[in-house]
Amino acid sequence: MADVIPLDEFVSDEWYPGFKPAYDHAPWMVDPVDTFKKKDEETFWFLDFHWPRGLTPMGWIWGEDGYNWGTQLAAETLPLPPGRGMTSRFAGTHLYGSAVPVTDPREIGARAKRIEKSLPLFLGNFEDIWATRRQETEDGWAYLRSVDLGKLSLAELGENLVQARAYHKRAFEIHFEVMYPLLANFVGFYGQCVEFGLDPGQIGKFLQGYDTKIMETDRELWRLTAQARSGGLADVFAATEAENLSAALSAHGGAASTWLSHFEDFLQIYGWRTEGSCDLALPSWIEDPTPALGTIKTFLLKPEVHDFKAALDAAIAEREEAVDAARSVLTREEQAVFDGGLESCRAANFPWWQDDHNYYIDLKVSLPMRWACQEIAGRVGADASDDMFFLFWPENMQLVRGERSYPDFKPIIEARKQYFDHWYQRRASMPKMLGTIPDSVDDPIVIEIFGLNGHFLDTIKAAASGQEVRTLTGIPASKGIARGIARVLSNADELHRIQPGEILVCESTSPNWTPAFAKIAACVCDGGGTLSHAAIVGREYGVPTVTAVGLATAIINDGDEIEVNGTTGTVTVFHTATAGSTEGAEPAATGGVPS
Amino acid sequence: MSGTIIWTDQVDPATASAVAGAKMGRLSELLQAGVCVPAGFSVTIDAYRQHCAQSRLDAVIDTALAGLGDNPGPAPIEQASRTIRAEFEQRPISTALAKDITDAYDDLCLHCVEVNVPTAVRSSATGEDSDDASFAGIFDTYLGVSGPGRILDAVRACWGSLFTERALDYRHRRGISHHEMPIAVGVIELIHARASGVAFSIHPVTGKSDRIVIEGNWGWGEAVVQGLVTPDHIEIGKSDGRVLRYDVASKKIVSAFDYAAGRVVETDMPARLVDRRVLDDEQTAAVAEAVAAIEKHYGFPVDVEWVLDRHRRAGEPICIVQVRPVTAVKVSSPPPARWNPVSAATKYAFHRTT
Repeated sequence: MADVIPLDEFVSDEWYPGFKPAYDHAPWMVDPVDTFKKKDEETFWFLDFHWPRGLTPMGWIWGEDGYNWGTQLAAETLPLPPGRGMTSRFAGTHLYGSAVPVTDPREIGARAKRIEKSLPLFLGNFEDIWATRRQETEDGWAYLRSVDLGKLSLAELGENLVQARAYHKRAFEIHFEVMYPLLANFVGFYGQCVEFGLDPGQIGKFLQGYDTKIMETDRELWRLTAQARSGGLADVFAATEAENLSAALSAHGGAASTWLSHFEDFLQIYGWRTEGSCDLALPSWIEDPTPALGTIKTFLLKPEVHDFKAALDAAIAEREEAVDAARSVLTREEQAVFDGGLESCRAANFPWWQDDHNYYIDLKVSLPMRWACQEIAGRVGADASDDMFFLFWPENMQLVRGERSYPDFKPIIEARKQYFDHWYQRRASMPKMLGTIPDSVDDPIVIEIFGLNGHFLDTIKAAASGQEVRTLTGIPASKGIARGIARVLSNADELHRIQPGEILVCESTSPNWTPAFAKIAACVCDGGGTLSHAAIVGREYGVPTVTAVGLATAIINDGDEIEVNGTTGTVTVFHTATAGSTEGAEPAATGGVPS
Repeated sequence: MSGTIIWTDQVDPATASAVAGAKMGRLSELLQAGVCVPAGFSVTIDAYRQHCAQSRLDAVIDTALAGLGDNPGPAPIEQASRTIRAEFEQRPISTALAKDITDAYDDLCLHCVEVNVPTAVRSSATGEDSDDASFAGIFDTYLGVSGPGRILDAVRACWGSLFTERALDYRHRRGISHHEMPIAVGVIELIHARASGVAFSIHPVTGKSDRIVIEGNWGWGEAVVQGLVTPDHIEIGKSDGRVLRYDVASKKIVSAFDYAAGRVVETDMPARLVDRRVLDDEQTAAVAEAVAAIEKHYGFPVDVEWVLDRHRRAGEPICIVQVRPVTAVKVSSPPPARWNPVSAATKYAFHRTT
């Protein structure tokens, strides 16, 4: 019997106050972005963890370019035999995803024949394909960075916004063109390993210990931390709130000035990244360095420097040990298959790419659209630089073509900001799933990236029936046991405040959360499979991590003492902190979107 | 040599099963193939038929079975079984046949150079199903039987075991007459077992044919065969003989020789042996080698009962006391010859069979 979680309260024709789409402004392959309709209740939807704040009208472009164009185009092109990619629906400002199945067996068979040719071709040329595609996005980035927006007319700014979106859209075509075959190969290898009787918990280790662009960023943050310490700046950092650090260090002068120039050099290379995935409402570190400075501030609280070399060496040693142990229990015939699969997955390494690509795509491709919108806001005399984020794409096009004026939009922008805030407040109580909950999920992306395995589904169903849950279980994503105080975070805004030795509890982590892994004792996520960001980074950093716990952020209170066993995948909540203790940790939500 | 006794090493393997039943017939085949098997003889199917006729057991059987009707419940079957088996145990063996058997036993004692040599007395059934794994344990086996009188008793008990409740029920459900599956009885030298167990030339659960699986316990193999003990579990790669896993079990029961009772009985494992590893690497390799050779000889997957002789030295063969084709497990398709990303993705990521 399938359980149905009703979605009536989210059914709406209006995407945001004052906007009903005409479906003429963005293409889709199979199914377009939409708000929920009653018929969607027949389908299984899960709350996407990437946008814990909710998405602004311009942010919906990710739904259009990523989910409903990028994934669908890639799934149809490769093709994925049983799936047409992902589609999305909005409940208020919050995005729910769903995998679009191929149902006709003959069509699945025909698609299977096509991927027989395309998958080996991709895997054999992965290095070249990824290098070429990466260069393409970097070229697009370099071009958009080179444009002096200040010299453009409003109409030209409109053209720039179109170019910025084309770059964004192309980046997500590449993202999924690469992700699907890599994932298919990895899931195939994973399945083969399980078939051989290998411990599933060990399989992720076989591919760990390869350096990524994101880890490189973290090493630089620690280098800056060491420089701050040796420059005698630890006290300044300790005495100053993260958001005031920039000013305080400037005022301090001397060693602080030298340090700030190093920091500026760092930002020019690594600072073009947002505190969250693909959302143009988020500033880059260059625009607002608070997250980077806040991270360094908390790094300084740790007496010892995180030894990246030692951690990487340990990850490599663990990898080799895991591979040797696995091979020793396989027959010679099985070893031949295992070795071939391992070699293939190392040459086209999904867990590695899953971290590395964020530097080139997820963390920065929305920035050019952001700059154009901010420039347009200035040009039309908008009250706030984020006003254009609250217009949908066709409305912004009308604005830059002079078909409608800013004052026309002012009331609607105001109403939409309130709408955004309203839904932002509701995030914590948004259902994790909507519609018809299946007994099992087949789509590899949904399972591996979002962690919606059978256990996750069971947990959600158990909680829906009112059962008490004290020991939570999930996927053992990174081994080890740690006990400590839970910090339940709803988004990355407060991440830099987490103290060394505390346990991070969140819906899910994104690449921008990585620095925290050098200081936390353990990590617990509502979602995420063995290949989710938290799982990969947990293993790289040796932080016990349990993912796909289901309701960790709902059941664990901020301040609870919890024990995380990343070897068995269990989380034990020892006592519940008194109500109200979470106040201090709540992010300031008044402004809605940082701008 | 009369038609009532056949020696394992003197019978043509081609006709062995027909006169001595499947179990003893296979031992002759193994011996012929150079496998180490214990010395022994069979009390043939002819001997069984003679006895049934001379002792008027046929009439007893017919009467008891005639009362069962078409679809008997457990109670009438139990009653018929008890009646028939009691008669088998009471009715004496004719003097001539008894002499054939005790003479053969005396020859076995001479062959082994041991007075009242202990033996394993095993039922050896015939018929199409006799190689079926579902037959395992359906008929009696007595370990440690010594002395002419006990041998005769054990032979009669084995004959009677053709009419255990399970056997009656089995034949009834399949519509087989007991006349179609007469029984022979093997009397073979009891190997002084340090350790014993079973071994499979394919994985008995997954059907993977690239490995040999050995299960073993201290003492004789009955506790393992009857499932009374969790034995040590060993898996070995067939192509390179490498031990893939050795799970040392906590073995609580042992089949050991009870000198007072004069037979092998199941008893508590001495504490010092419970968690001790049964086979060392050399012994493991010897069992695996024997199993692989037997599979090769027959050309199909087999399971065997093996015994590690107390006096065996490294390099000597392992003794095989029983072999059967593996029929209950479907041989799984071998792993692909090499990594194929498409077939793996198709199977595991897309959940399709190619």
